Amino acid sequence: MESVTLLECRRVTKRFGALAAVRDFSFSLRAGEILGLIGPNGSGKTTLFNVIVGIHSPDGGEVLYRGKSIAHLPPHEICRRGIAKTSQIIQPFSNLKVFENVLVAALYGRNLAMRQAQEETERILMSVGLDGLRDDPAGKIPFPLRRRLELGRALATGAEVLLLDEVMAGLTPAGVEEALEILKKIRTQGRTLILVEHVMRAVMGISERIIVLNHGEKIAEGAPEEVARNPEVINAYLGKRYA
Amino acid sequence: MAFGVMGVVNLSHGDFVMLGAFLTYWLFTLAGFDPFLTLPFSLIALFFLGFFLQRLAINRLVGAPPIMSYLLTFGFHLVLTNLALRVWTADYRTVKTSYSGLNLNLLGVVLPYSRLATFALAMVVILGLYLFIYRTEMGRAIRATAQDREMARLMGVKIFRIYTFTFALATGITGLAGSLISTTFVLYPQMGLPFTITAFCVVVLGGMGYIPGTLWGGMVLGVFESLTTTYLTAGISLALSFFLLLLILVIRPAGLFGKGIVE
Amino acid sequence: MTMSRHPLPSRYILFVLLTGGIILGTLPLFGLEGYRLRLLSLVFMWVALAGCWNMMSGYTGYIDFGPVAYFGVGSYGTAILMIKGGLPFFLSVFLSGWICAGLSLAVGLPTLRLQGAYFAIATFAAAEAMKQVILEWDGVAGLEFFGGAHGLTLPPAPPEVFFYYVLLFFMGLIVGLTALLERSKFGYGLRAIREAEQAAELSGVPTLGIKVRAYVLASSLIGCIGGVEAYWLTYIIPDDVFNVMRTIQMITMTLLGGMGTVLGPVIGASFLTLISEYLGAKFVYDYLIFVGGVIVIVILLLPQGIMGTVLRKKGWSR
Repeated sequence: MESVTLLECRRVTKRFGALAAVRDFSFSLRAGEILGLIGPNGSGKTTLFNVIVGIHSPDGGEVLYRGKSIAHLPPHEICRRGIAKTSQIIQPFSNLKVFENVLVAALYGRNLAMRQAQEETERILMSVGLDGLRDDPAGKIPFPLRRRLELGRALATGAEVLLLDEVMAGLTPAGVEEALEILKKIRTQGRTLILVEHVMRAVMGISERIIVLNHGEKIAEGAPEEVARNPEVINAYLGKRYA
Repeated sequence: MAFGVMGVVNLSHGDFVMLGAFLTYWLFTLAGFDPFLTLPFSLIALFFLGFFLQRLAINRLVGAPPIMSYLLTFGFHLVLTNLALRVWTADYRTVKTSYSGLNLNLLGVVLPYSRLATFALAMVVILGLYLFIYRTEMGRAIRATAQDREMARLMGVKIFRIYTFTFALATGITGLAGSLISTTFVLYPQMGLPFTITAFCVVVLGGMGYIPGTLWGGMVLGVFESLTTTYLTAGISLALSFFLLLLILVIRPAGLFGKGIVE
Repeated sequence: MTMSRHPLPSRYILFVLLTGGIILGTLPLFGLEGYRLRLLSLVFMWVALAGCWNMMSGYTGYIDFGPVAYFGVGSYGTAILMIKGGLPFFLSVFLSGWICAGLSLAVGLPTLRLQGAYFAIATFAAAEAMKQVILEWDGVAGLEFFGGAHGLTLPPAPPEVFFYYVLLFFMGLIVGLTALLERSKFGYGLRAIREAEQAAELSGVPTLGIKVRAYVLASSLIGCIGGVEAYWLTYIIPDDVFNVMRTIQMITMTLLGGMGTVLGPVIGASFLTLISEYLGAKFVYDYLIFVGGVIVIVILLLPQGIMGTVLRKKGWSR
């Protein structure tokens, strides 16, 4: 199966002061795949996402999307080109309605005209199950549903590549199942996903490939079963005794 | 200090200077107190004013965007300045003591005694503040709150009390400063605004929230203003000061030392 | 299909504007004149000014503390073009608007990258600097151009009614523009910036570009209005047209009426202008104390302003 390389990081490094949050990190993402990115807390996963999406500029290395460098572009430009992410700390447009929150993304991320953007927003709200709350101020909806709003916004941008940062944190097992279904559906619609997750069962279950980060460096890459058995990975999470 | 701890910007700052100065004036004129003796009065009176302002109003703004505190304190400024104008009229006033005109002649440079005393006392106050913030328990609590509010709260620091105290302290010292300058400057109700602006420039130059920076910021700005006023005009000096501020904000918002809080 | 549009549909706004326009437009024909005519013109001017400020700061949340700079530049620009250039009034105002556009672009590009609080300081500093420049330029450059502290005198003005209609036009223009803006893609971009700038950026909103556009638009219009006032007053001095109190009034009027709403500036400006006429006649300090008090009360008790609170109660978004 011939697959296009959508996203590529070559030896990406990002430092904050003396600390290298991401160091010499390289990987490539093929169209249509679901990649899981795991690692202990503080291993640099969110920073990596932030670099890819343009919030930070890499201090070293290259970030390529469909072959073109995106390393120093502003986030809105990267979003338009096709990469969107959800944030761990969700910032909804509080005083705007739920509908309008997603509408903004459809208008700007996808550059649709008002009428089409409104239609697209309807569709997306239904697919994430939020159309019942469409008229509520986004600041007032219950916390667990904010995640769906976040996802809705990311979807509305029309981005091909979605970086999902801990979208399943705090969900019940049933909620996790639901979320997995939504993710699979998204993939069939032609999008490519990178998932950062701590809910192991979920991320190991749905990902075709896993990359493990520790202290900003890649320590393992491969199919979920291989990675789970990798002594270095076990060491990183549980310490040497269990490796 | 107030900004660093609470993230609140106080645009009525200069008016506390004005109040302190006027307090000294009235004590001097009506009761014959030597200006330097009125210092404790200013400190305490304005401490309480700050205390009440904080409790009633400013504490409500802590989570809100800084803009709100700009607007609120600007509201205070309008009320304070114009109330003062209403009550005390716009006349200029001075505090002239028996030693006002006396100078010290040092190597050809004329140094008025009152200014020397003001300078000395100002240094004492700054030193005192520095020691307080860095060497006492309360000072530590204030610093902790400035660095990480949530952590400080979790460790048992009563945040709102710290806020109130910090603001009251800041106000008190500002009033003190007002009293100090009463011997050197002409007093009038609108005198507060230039001080607010200058204080602002000093703080931005030195780095917002970074206390040692204010010392340097003050000196840099003071020298800059003196030089430009002497060699150009006072008006141009003001314009240049603003350009300097603008420049710093755009190029180095964290101040000269890069240690300011850039939100 | 019920779309989640903004509460007041475009038809309604258009209706209000037209009827309002017709009523106000025909008032002079029914004998409105003298003091009352002037007062109403003043109200129109302040509604327009507050409305401009609202367009930028009310919707993006970036509080501009220096709009008076453009008012002053517009005034002086129009004055100089008319006096030294001999250009007709409307052309002068139009060109002044463009001068302000250029100037605000230069100021906005670097300062809008800063955080909101710093932007506020920067714009304030820029406005004060501009005032000083106009004040001192002649002295320093040895010219007789700006008139320094003595100001400039414009050609004699047409009768009051002229300005009534011009200002009515500007008021209508700005209120209408704001209404249009609110429903547009641009309006959503502005509000997204106000609500959560980084999230907006991540959703594809070109935040810097939008902020700059709003700032330039608002500033140019403020400049135009400044030009109108110059002709109206016939005599301008820096202390008046660059007076920071104008900024304060724009801000307070919008705050009171409701930032980020169409009718907010209308309510706030009308109310405060009328109060200022009543209070300011005796002691100008009284009015200022009142303004200060309004600011404090609004911030503490009614941060959404009058319209904002009304809209919120009805569950509509801002």
